[in-house]
Amino acid sequence: MVRMKAPRRLLGLFAFFLLALQAAVPARGAEVHDPLEPLNRTIYGLNELFDVLLIGPLAQTYGELPQPLRTAVRNVLDNLSSPVTLVNDLLQGEFDRAGNTFARLFINSTIGIFGLFDLASELGYPAHKEDFGQTLAVWGIGEGPFLMLPLLGPSTVRDTVGLVVDRGALDPFSQFAAREVAAARAIGETIDTRHRLDPVIQDLRRSSLDPYATVRSAYLQRRAAEIRNRRPPAGERGYEAIFQEEEGNGVANGR
Amino acid sequence: MAWQTGVDRRSGWQRRKLILAAGGLFLLPRPLWSAQAAAGFVDELGRRVLAVLNDRSSDRATRLARLSAILDEATDLELVARLVLGRYWREASEAQRREFVNLYRRLVLKTMSERLDSYGGETYEVLGSVAVDERDSMVSTRIIRPAGEPIAVDWRVRNLGGRFVVIDIVAEGVSMVVTQRSEAAEIVGRSGLEGLLAEMRRRLA
Repeated sequence: MVRMKAPRRLLGLFAFFLLALQAAVPARGAEVHDPLEPLNRTIYGLNELFDVLLIGPLAQTYGELPQPLRTAVRNVLDNLSSPVTLVNDLLQGEFDRAGNTFARLFINSTIGIFGLFDLASELGYPAHKEDFGQTLAVWGIGEGPFLMLPLLGPSTVRDTVGLVVDRGALDPFSQFAAREVAAARAIGETIDTRHRLDPVIQDLRRSSLDPYATVRSAYLQRRAAEIRNRRPPAGERGYEAIFQEEEGNGVANGR
Repeated sequence: MAWQTGVDRRSGWQRRKLILAAGGLFLLPRPLWSAQAAAGFVDELGRRVLAVLNDRSSDRATRLARLSAILDEATDLELVARLVLGRYWREASEAQRREFVNLYRRLVLKTMSERLDSYGGETYEVLGSVAVDERDSMVSTRIIRPAGEPIAVDWRVRNLGGRFVVIDIVAEGVSMVVTQRSEAAEIVGRSGLEGLLAEMRRRLA
């Protein structure tokens, strides 16, 4: 839910999770692979606490800024993430998309004034995002167990590896930007993302029977959709099975 | 689709010409035809819902009552509830099934009531539809918001012998049925079906 960057420490965290995985009990036949559920739930609770105390209120204040200013912030952040998308487009063999991303980066960084204005979208170069987690998926690597990361929110082993590679190797801004700039970007990314997700989060807290299970399911579905480049799940085997199984188990049984 | 089976070529061709003259629509394989009708159904549904939401002359209770009438007509909540409960439906007793459908329906209405006031002038656009199988189609729409990026919403529509019902809503790749199934399975796995029913009652209290 909340995205924040802590590149060096992430590696340590990642090692910790790998160790924890060794000791994990196998999943109990659920649809999702979540062997670390008890630990994940604890971390989810801490993230929620942190959100209620700090991130949520900050995001609310941010929401009171004028819309054009917030749009400019979003545009700058998106432009900063373009190089990672570009490299991953290339790694996935999506050369048309890579060309599109390169055009966006070039247009918005120059006449868009350091990305303040998203002129590329208006010129017919729509935005999209790729990351190394998606690249790994395209390369055929499974998502692995679900993980709830401290501060960073829902993830999987594959997506956590992806995040570490994106931040640690593929992202020029993580590599070369001054500490203060990197921190400002991380904070901006966190607050802006939290602000945009606010209706969803409010809805979740109000109407979900089990918010942790909802977040986990929604995250895994959303990632699958991003990896498919956003086509609906129709035709996916697991999804279709849900709608076939009630054959011969008619509605009348419930009446 | 008799022309696909063993009828002889000539009569098949003549029949096709006849059908074409009668209004080419029937030449399309049935699921595709159904998918187009499903898109029309979603479009009409959207128009009716927007008409209620934009009706500022009626009070809140009236608008809510009209929305819930549309809901009953345009969905089959019993079917959706059964999909949400998944394999636990089979294990449930008659009374538990009835109770679950009843609670599920009341939770949907409660959520609808809570969301009624957050309507902020959104509109929609039907982008197209595909047939998934003989019964189901996915209708793709885009919800256009006054502020913020549009949201991609896909509607799974089932043809129940000529009557269309929405059986799933997929927002930006996240399916309502899949998500609620995951919640239900989680709670039943932890505290049994009675635990799930108790949690639903608690939410309604």
